[in-house]
Amino acid sequence: SSSDKGSGRILQFDPFQSLVDEGFWHRLSSLKLDSLGLDQSPIPLTGTPLLPSFFSLAFSVCFYAPCSHPKVSNRLTLLAESLPSDFKELQFSLERAHGNRNRCPVPGTLYNMNTFESFKALDRDSLLKKEAKKILDDIHSAKVEEDSAVLSRFFIISFADLKKWNFLHWLAFPALVVGPPAVVLNLRPAREVFNQGEAQSLSAALNEWRNSSLTTGVLYFLVSIASNSRATIRQLKDWKACQDDGQKLLFGFYDPSCRLDNPGWPLRNYLAFISLRCQDGKIQFLCYREKRGFADMGLSLVGEAVISPSKDCRDPQCVPKAVGWEPKPKSINLAESMNPERLAVSAA
Amino acid sequence: MVLTQRLHEAFKGTVERITGPRTVSAFKEKGVLSVSEFVLAGDNLVAKCPTWSWEAGETSKRKSYLPDDKQYLITRNVPCLRRASSMEEEYDAAGGEFLLGNDDDDGDGWLATHGMPKETKSSEVEGLPSMESLEISKGAAIRSIPAYFGGEEEEDIPDMEDYEDPENLIETDTASAHATLQSTYFVANEPEDDNILRTRTYDVSITYDKYYQTPRVWLTGYDESRMPLQPELVFEDVSQDHARKTVTTEDHPHLPGKHASVHPCRHGAVMKKIIDVLISRGVEPEVDKYLFLFLKFIASVVPTIEYDYTMDFDLGSSSH
Repeated sequence: SSSDKGSGRILQFDPFQSLVDEGFWHRLSSLKLDSLGLDQSPIPLTGTPLLPSFFSLAFSVCFYAPCSHPKVSNRLTLLAESLPSDFKELQFSLERAHGNRNRCPVPGTLYNMNTFESFKALDRDSLLKKEAKKILDDIHSAKVEEDSAVLSRFFIISFADLKKWNFLHWLAFPALVVGPPAVVLNLRPAREVFNQGEAQSLSAALNEWRNSSLTTGVLYFLVSIASNSRATIRQLKDWKACQDDGQKLLFGFYDPSCRLDNPGWPLRNYLAFISLRCQDGKIQFLCYREKRGFADMGLSLVGEAVISPSKDCRDPQCVPKAVGWEPKPKSINLAESMNPERLAVSAA
Repeated sequence: MVLTQRLHEAFKGTVERITGPRTVSAFKEKGVLSVSEFVLAGDNLVAKCPTWSWEAGETSKRKSYLPDDKQYLITRNVPCLRRASSMEEEYDAAGGEFLLGNDDDDGDGWLATHGMPKETKSSEVEGLPSMESLEISKGAAIRSIPAYFGGEEEEDIPDMEDYEDPENLIETDTASAHATLQSTYFVANEPEDDNILRTRTYDVSITYDKYYQTPRVWLTGYDESRMPLQPELVFEDVSQDHARKTVTTEDHPHLPGKHASVHPCRHGAVMKKIIDVLISRGVEPEVDKYLFLFLKFIASVVPTIEYDYTMDFDLGSSSH
């Protein structure tokens, strides 16, 4: 059975896949052209001194949702709405389109380089470490409990060539390595783990969570199951109360992956958070997945794993190891929809 | 050819500017929707099939007659597991039969286009619209679609092959599911029992076409590596009877770039036929279910894309 197969192995995660919508590049281009002009001067957006020849946007967002099809994993999507429509919007805290269940927002950073050379010269290893450190800081400072989306923080480096309408980009989904790999004791479809009453109660509670505009964008949550089979979903900040109430506790998250033998990437930093803040040793988690937009206990997985952070990473000053670059940069040319000359020809 | 289409678009734009949106329902009489009926039907689609959502879109492209936060509907990441040509050979009769019921006697009706076995036809319902009548006036449809990704300028685009990760940290990462045979951890070395598909996906969106007073469907394709699909390749996923005729590539009213779209010029007539079929079977069609019916009709044009349009709603049983 699948439980035997899974037992005792290293827990492996299905990597995130990114998709950058054409609208994202249109928005970035108009930001550059309208607000910055074509000059190459850096813009001090983040309040820290920047290198010449690039700007960073510390407030971009991307979107994902739980897997909703048994054969296709969901991907992390960058849309026009991932960027502000102009730089005047920069000051206010980012409004993240809360309430759209199919677009759960995740914060990220864009580093746009103005030349191919500077893109190539980027020290990607230290960038990854820097972003991973932000996640570790958010774990230690309890920010994760208030806004769990920071656990899935992403970043993107790009070179936008507006003379040729060519956009080169490379995404990373930093994952902290805070200890030896988690060992999976059990990983099975939720339907096989819960009794019928528990499964029904859990489905109902999850559908309610997903239907409320207040909670639908919350990617990480807690599942309590009482002895009378009643399931309750709670916010991450309630983990202490959940641990103490004697009910069965699972750490739940929206899983973009459709794989039956692996949880998706967002679980990695979640396990780091759990081991550093809540508990180490044996824990249970729920990979929440949907079918046609509703909770599906056949696709959702329940796992049991052993986690143990290394001593170093308990120190808030530590710089953890990290992984998470997508395998290759991608390049897209949008001359067809951006080049005014071509547009004029096709309109003639 | 192109000129005809452009003239028509200009005419249509002018008409849309000077005429007010439809306010009186002509749903049953003409198969069309008023703006408020479109919003009602959209709300129902989103409620029953929550993978669909309303979008506000770009502020500059908003239509004043639609609510700001309900400009168009979209469902993303819809798998398209195989090409339409292979589909046409082995069409599963279950989907379209229920609504569109029967073939024309001459075998030229909707179902014939996706290869429904002839023996299943009955004579209960008279001719649903034929392919011929659904084509846009001859020759008006197609614009040439130049290469999407640079084409002649390719030599200027940095060569990614020369730019592999020199020392990939990830190589030693044991916890990535796509293990580590090659220099990066994403490279597929998947378990043998892995049924993960490398498949095309689509974003399917529905706008309101004020001129035709019907919904309009748009397809944005992505290839197996999640890069935008050239519009030309989208035609591979469209019923071959419709590719380049009823399905063409045009500017999306809310999104940048060219997108494949099912032309709405005959939508009202087809919907009227479907509604008549329902009424003849003793079912009273309700306007808030319009989009479910509409998407079933669209499924015959784009049979390969598995977007949600099914739901357990009571249309009454068919009489055979």
